Amino acid sequence: MNTIEEKLWNYIDGTCTPAEQEAIARLIEQDELYKQKYTELLVLNQEFASMELDEPSMAFSYNVLEAIRAEQLAPLKSTINKKIILGIAAFFVLSILALLIVILSNVKISGNLFSGLDVKLPASLKLPSASSIFNSTLMKSFFVFDVILALFLTDSYLRRKKAAKEA
Amino acid sequence: MQSKLSDIELIEQTLAGNQFAYADLVKRHQRFVFTLAMRFAKGREDAEEIAQDCFVKAYRSLASFQGQSKFSTWLYSIVYTTAMTFLRKKRVDTDSIDDEGTFVQIESHESAYDTNNVENKSRSYYLNQAIEQLLPDDATIITLFYKGEQSLEEIAQTMGIETNTVKVKLFRARQRLKEKLERNLKHEVKELI
Repeated sequence: MNTIEEKLWNYIDGTCTPAEQEAIARLIEQDELYKQKYTELLVLNQEFASMELDEPSMAFSYNVLEAIRAEQLAPLKSTINKKIILGIAAFFVLSILALLIVILSNVKISGNLFSGLDVKLPASLKLPSASSIFNSTLMKSFFVFDVILALFLTDSYLRRKKAAKEA
Repeated sequence: MQSKLSDIELIEQTLAGNQFAYADLVKRHQRFVFTLAMRFAKGREDAEEIAQDCFVKAYRSLASFQGQSKFSTWLYSIVYTTAMTFLRKKRVDTDSIDDEGTFVQIESHESAYDTNNVENKSRSYYLNQAIEQLLPDDATIITLFYKGEQSLEEIAQTMGIETNTVKVKLFRARQRLKEKLERNLKHEVKELI
């Protein structure tokens, strides 16, 4: 059951139904208690609405932007790229499928479901030998490229760090 | 001078890489965000830290803002979550920050100092003093309703509660605020006599 104050606040806020609104308006008109309480709450409502907002320091917005710059933040638009996530997912799915195909093609299954299946696993899988991969010229040039790339990235990182320290 | 562009237009410009557009957004909302932070922190330094943290968080996840609600509602929900986390952390440090008595005690200490300037005090001073004595949730609801131009539904969204609960909480918060306001005014009259 709503108290008088609750009903009147709903009336002031306009959160009651049109029928309730009409009934409360009639009560305010006819009932002295309702009228008195309503006037009191209206004054209070006006007073609450006059509250003042606090003011942050003058440098507030500057500090926010500095914090953003310090973290070198970019809005997530550039970082969450669904295409990249889908690409990574597709790579893993394709890899798993390729592995499954290789394995299944090496397994020999004979017989039928009623008489029983005879599954023969291969004694060994024919995979390219690791030594031939690592000794190939292509692999060696790949490693050299990686080392040069790592050196270049480390150098640019250290330069950035030094510049930030000097600034 | 603040931009005349809408919040959505400023967000679009920010996402396109214009940081000045975000500065305009910050300037537009900083007073309210800071006031909300003050409802929890009770100290300007902590409140500025919370408010700054909120704007940085909002910037980080600006692209996830879908525009289904007002930007202010979305921003205030970040403020509310951040401030609640701050309060929880503070509670661990001080053991009883959520205790209403703590706030009353802190405030009454301040008011003892302020009674020297009692002639300069206005009704708005007493109102702000009474709001500061409320529990953070009550003060937040009152501020969001009267100054945040937020409907009951939007307040519910900001605080992560039901609209009906907001209605009940708002009613109780108003009652408590009225009581505190009356008590403070009575106290000041006694001081004057």
